[in-house]
Amino acid sequence: MKAILFVFPFVLAVAYFPISQCQNLPLIEQTCKQTPYYGLCVTLLKSDPRSKTAGDVQAIALIMVDIIKAKAGGALQHIEKLKQKYPALRVPLSACKDRFNAIIIGDVPQAVEALTKGDPKFAVDAANDAALEADSCERGFSGKSPITQMNKLNHDISIITASIVKTML
Amino acid sequence: MLSWQRTAFHFQPQKNWMNDPNGPVFYKGWYHLFYQYNPNGAIWGDIVWGHAVSKDLIHWYHLPLAMVADQWYDIMGVWTGSATILSDGKLMMLYTGSTNESVQVQNLAYPADPSDPLLIKWVKYPGNPVLVPPPGIGAKDFRDPTTAWLTSEGKWRIAIGSRINRTGITFVYDTKDFINYELLRGVLHGVPNTGMWECVDFYPVSTTGEHGLDTSHNGPGVKHVVKASMDDDRHDYYAIGTYHEKNVTWVPDNPEIDVGIGIRYDYGLFYASKTFYDQNKKRRVLWGWIGESDSEIADVKKGWASLQGIPRTVALDTKTGSNLLQWPVEEVDSLRLTSKEFEKIELKPGSVMPLDVGSATQLDIVAEFELDKAALEKTAESNVEFSCSSSEGSAERGALGPFGLLVLADDSLSEQTPVYFYIAKGKDGSLKTYFCTDQSRSSEANDVNKSKYGSFVPVLEGEKFSMRVLVDHSIVEGFAQGGRTTITSRVYPTKAIYGAARVFLFNNATGASVTSSLKAWQMNSAFIRPYPDDDDERHSGTEPTHEVRGSKTKYLGNLLTSSLLFLNARNNFL
Repeated sequence: MKAILFVFPFVLAVAYFPISQCQNLPLIEQTCKQTPYYGLCVTLLKSDPRSKTAGDVQAIALIMVDIIKAKAGGALQHIEKLKQKYPALRVPLSACKDRFNAIIIGDVPQAVEALTKGDPKFAVDAANDAALEADSCERGFSGKSPITQMNKLNHDISIITASIVKTML
Repeated sequence: MLSWQRTAFHFQPQKNWMNDPNGPVFYKGWYHLFYQYNPNGAIWGDIVWGHAVSKDLIHWYHLPLAMVADQWYDIMGVWTGSATILSDGKLMMLYTGSTNESVQVQNLAYPADPSDPLLIKWVKYPGNPVLVPPPGIGAKDFRDPTTAWLTSEGKWRIAIGSRINRTGITFVYDTKDFINYELLRGVLHGVPNTGMWECVDFYPVSTTGEHGLDTSHNGPGVKHVVKASMDDDRHDYYAIGTYHEKNVTWVPDNPEIDVGIGIRYDYGLFYASKTFYDQNKKRRVLWGWIGESDSEIADVKKGWASLQGIPRTVALDTKTGSNLLQWPVEEVDSLRLTSKEFEKIELKPGSVMPLDVGSATQLDIVAEFELDKAALEKTAESNVEFSCSSSEGSAERGALGPFGLLVLADDSLSEQTPVYFYIAKGKDGSLKTYFCTDQSRSSEANDVNKSKYGSFVPVLEGEKFSMRVLVDHSIVEGFAQGGRTTITSRVYPTKAIYGAARVFLFNNATGASVTSSLKAWQMNSAFIRPYPDDDDERHSGTEPTHEVRGSKTKYLGNLLTSSLLFLNARNNFL
């Protein structure tokens, strides 16, 4: 009886400060070190709540694939707005729409399949392709792109993802 | 969309994604090809086994899916496997399943009706899986069982690739019934720093002749090949060595060119390859998966991705003893239509010559080249090691190369795919020949692979420089010196398509003239299509009566059909 009274406050203390509050630092930093964009990699993962409970590189990789998907979706929305704003850029903007669409309906599903079903090399391919699509979108403007920063971000996120998955091979 | 990229005589399903060839086998008069297939899209995923049959490895008929992901032990994927024909003619199929927990296990399947030559229906052994990853091996590091071979004790032996840390290895198991297995001590072979070994293949080659050997064959006059697909660098490597059955080891003839660090089957796009012994024609035949090197957006638009390479015979090169020879199966020759021959054309340094061969998107070209001896002798030595991939491609002019063919080129040469030789003279005055394919100007599209492929090719005393090139819309396969070095490329021209495609001879060397003789054939379509629905024909197990080859009338009908298809395609293009 006395033992319980003694232990109880400690139990409460542990419950009040959950261990998961500590960020999954070693895994994130160790994983991001294997990519060419360490800072961006750490920032992206730390700002995603799922990374706190990611247990292995595969889980981290799946989070990154989801970030690719989210950013590509955002790109599509932005492109729609720009089509109204810059009618003269309608042609390259439409091409970009196709590119980001291919990322969402092709690269992302393939990456998720490959990671969850256990043949990660196809996720490397998909992530590398996503970077290529963003690059191709940018090239379509022949130097006069209104979305250079956005394309670079999508490119870099994809390269980070490919590098992370490559460590699983 | 992008319909000009579809091939005419390479195996591909009507739509969607394909990867590894599976379970190739000759059974009751038919060649069978199974393959990794996604029935739902042009990306890798939802993998099941596609199936096709042929009488001649060229004219294929699509059949229903052989196996789908319907058991807990393959619900995440019906992956790669191999066929074994037992001494009594029974057919066993071993394949990798990815389980509901994404663990890689080996499963047994067999024909539901062994008397059906088309092997349409398959049964999975109810007690699957028959093998799970051994202790200490990762759940995702255990896949692609080989065809089994008989030991002198009368047991069947198989190999399965894996890895321990960064060392690629292959396990060996013995079995009497394909259901119960004994993991043999150690590994057949392993090579450090090569990563995971996928699609391991193990087979004997004759040291005395070009014929193939049954997978179980052993004895004098035999060497064994170990092959593996490297998950890390996506290339297929093989090595020749000696198999010791008793202590279950294999030792490479030359450890410096061991599996994973030495010779590749193909220096372009060629992966997950697998051989089978064709007891019909007593040869060993090699299949390889040829992926796309364009971007995903194109695959999504066109609704398909990947080809199988042209099937090749594989045998030991008895002249060198240290490499294999690969050559398109002889049945490819049956696709040859009209030909144009060119005798002893002299190409001065820096020249390009158009070849009037007619349509240039479906071609079989056999070409020989000679350099003038004086030029070979007086050329200065170089101390730089040449490499196709780090060179400037066909634009890099050396004293003795490059020279060869420009395929899938347009009139203005704004698009061109050079397939060529480059001869370098080493420090000791010896000549070293390289065989390359240069994709850097293959297309005006900027989202396709533009790298250069190739490798050194042995050229022996007295040999001319020779190459055979198969062109089929979006695939180019080059075979040098009778198949000592091969290169497969996927190219995606935007201009050099249909009637606008051309072929040229070229010599971009600075110090030597080249004399070339060649023959170029128009290639017919293989008319790959679904097996006819007629129930009577299927049950009798005979070929469909409207099969398109053989008699003269069928040939003419063929020619008419292909001409009509060509004209139709041209109209679409125009």
